[in-house]
Amino acid sequence: MIEIIPAIDLIDGKCVRLSGGKFDTMKIYSDKPADLARQFRDQGVNYLHIVDLDGARTGKPAHIGLLKEIAAISGMKVDFGGGIRSRESFKTVLDAGADRVSIGSLAVTRPYELEEWLSDFGADRVILGVDVKNEKVAYHGWQSESAISWQEFIGYWLGKGINRTFCTDVDRDGTLNGPAVDLYRRIIRQFPGIDLIASGGVSGPEDIELLEQAGLKGVIVGKAIYEGRLSVSYPLLPKEGAGGGTWAGGLAKRIIPCLDIRDGRTVKGVNFVDVRDAGDPVELAIRYAEEGADELVFLDITATIDGRKTFPLLVKRIAKVLNIPFTVGGGISTFEDAVILLEAGADKISLNSAAVKTPDIIDRLARSFGNQFVVLAIDAKEVLGWEVYVHGGRIPTGKDLFEWAREGQERGCGEILFTSMNHDGTKNGFANEALARLSEMLTIPIIASGGAGKPEHFRDAFIKGKADAALAASVFHFGDIPIPELKRYLYNQGITVRIK
Amino acid sequence: MEIVVIKYNAGNIGSVANALDRLGQACTVTDDPDEIRRADKVIFPGVGEASSTMKYLKDKGLDKIIPALKQPVLGICLGMQLMCSWSEEGDTPALGIFPEKVKLFRGSIKVPHMGWNSIRFNPDGLYKGLQPGCYVYFVHSYFAETGDATLATCDYGTPFSAALHRDNFYAVQFHPEKSGEVGQLILRNFIEL
Repeated sequence: MIEIIPAIDLIDGKCVRLSGGKFDTMKIYSDKPADLARQFRDQGVNYLHIVDLDGARTGKPAHIGLLKEIAAISGMKVDFGGGIRSRESFKTVLDAGADRVSIGSLAVTRPYELEEWLSDFGADRVILGVDVKNEKVAYHGWQSESAISWQEFIGYWLGKGINRTFCTDVDRDGTLNGPAVDLYRRIIRQFPGIDLIASGGVSGPEDIELLEQAGLKGVIVGKAIYEGRLSVSYPLLPKEGAGGGTWAGGLAKRIIPCLDIRDGRTVKGVNFVDVRDAGDPVELAIRYAEEGADELVFLDITATIDGRKTFPLLVKRIAKVLNIPFTVGGGISTFEDAVILLEAGADKISLNSAAVKTPDIIDRLARSFGNQFVVLAIDAKEVLGWEVYVHGGRIPTGKDLFEWAREGQERGCGEILFTSMNHDGTKNGFANEALARLSEMLTIPIIASGGAGKPEHFRDAFIKGKADAALAASVFHFGDIPIPELKRYLYNQGITVRIK
Repeated sequence: MEIVVIKYNAGNIGSVANALDRLGQACTVTDDPDEIRRADKVIFPGVGEASSTMKYLKDKGLDKIIPALKQPVLGICLGMQLMCSWSEEGDTPALGIFPEKVKLFRGSIKVPHMGWNSIRFNPDGLYKGLQPGCYVYFVHSYFAETGDATLATCDYGTPFSAALHRDNFYAVQFHPEKSGEVGQLILRNFIEL
């Protein structure tokens, strides 16, 4: 497993970071670097990379006292560099307790001197820093570019016995632009036995995974740790959390706000402070997308036939502005109704009563436009068993929920949107048992609907109910559960969600 | 700059045009060979079934025109799959721009692979400026294997190609036009190639 090595860059006894090696970009992360080192140790870190930036500037190590303090922390090893330009400095650093001395510029400018120290103290007391700029080795705080290619340079020092090497792509360090994985791959390909440590550009766990796959032994991380993008205990996090959540992504559980539309306007008031017109579905759609909704559903509940004619126009306006997928439903009774909405720009349509009345509409739409286009919405109530209702839950059909859902899948629908009438409006949670049964018996995604009141209910729908997505209306519209907070909560519960 | 979106018997071509429009980029939706050849950039979108779509492309002569294009081409979803060498869907020989083969998802996973999944990529070219591991929107039952042309990967039961690239041909399995700001950035990067 790849080792995470926090970087402690020292100026005036403080832990700082410079961006792109420039002093005018300095940020202070800690006034007490030794305390910071202890915290790292407590979190499972056992190697630190200390850079004495004052020493690098003056040519003489300036923080030997701090080095002694940190190296004395039990269970912690460190390498130390910056301003090591004499045999005396080299020896002082080793005597202060450093496991290795990190050498950069000197290996470029005075190679014969370094070779002498290697034979006196051992090549295993050095870690070689290679700063690469335009394929060449840079030195002196990256201000100077040499004519030496990294291939020559690394090859030369490997030949002298230095195996542990950390490499920085100068243009990427401190920028969070992603590590130089390509360069590292090329280095490892050329020098397969090398003990290569990545340095610079790491912005999060995904980068660590990439580096591990590329074959690096360790990675030096500064900014990403100090700015909370990466935990030093990262490798200890469970790969598979509850509900199949993984830190490295994977298919995310979807959060879907549902908007009821009557005569082109949203029915329930929506409680966003800065929305000018809470009744305008288009403005709300954009707002939800910005908040991190994964999809939207628009249900037309217009009672009159005339009023319904305006719905495709609204769908067209939504399709123009919305950059996430959306489903439309309500009042689709024929194949042609669905085609009109498809042409207006809907990604999916949801069928409810019409599918019960003429199940063949599922087959025809799925065949013509693909399974992903057809969502089968099922309203059901549990009395003795789960019975399917139509026409807004007013008319029982005698159909069993599970049989109807299976038939829907066989006919070609791409998803089931299951609303429990027992739970809808209660804010007491979703129908998790029925959801789990649907999810286990079918091979298509299940959307949970009805009963959302708290963030915990969404968690339960995903873990206990094994749902692939959860839909809700009022908790989002009234601002009871802001979507960013809900996502953060689910993430912390180990559930994979897309966090913006 | 002239962008052409190839029109064929596939769903939701309009959403690509809408996405370009949101970026202030006009486009022409057409299946006219001359217009396609003349365009500065070409987008080959698509949701649909592989064998019937290949047949349509052949009927229109597009199976010869698309692989011969010299300007940047972006295939999306089914468009990408048809740029591969072969698809298991309908046992369909495809355009062969990429050597990868397209297969059906199997195993104890739900099919279609529908929703937001994170991708791995090198942050340059089409992926310049994107956060590592960012999420994009997928809807597909078939996937391109990983191979020489793979530019980005995603995992769903198995690792697969989220994006392919060879010369002037780019392709993505996901839907940038439906992938929020991330998708818009990818489309913008394509426009600015």
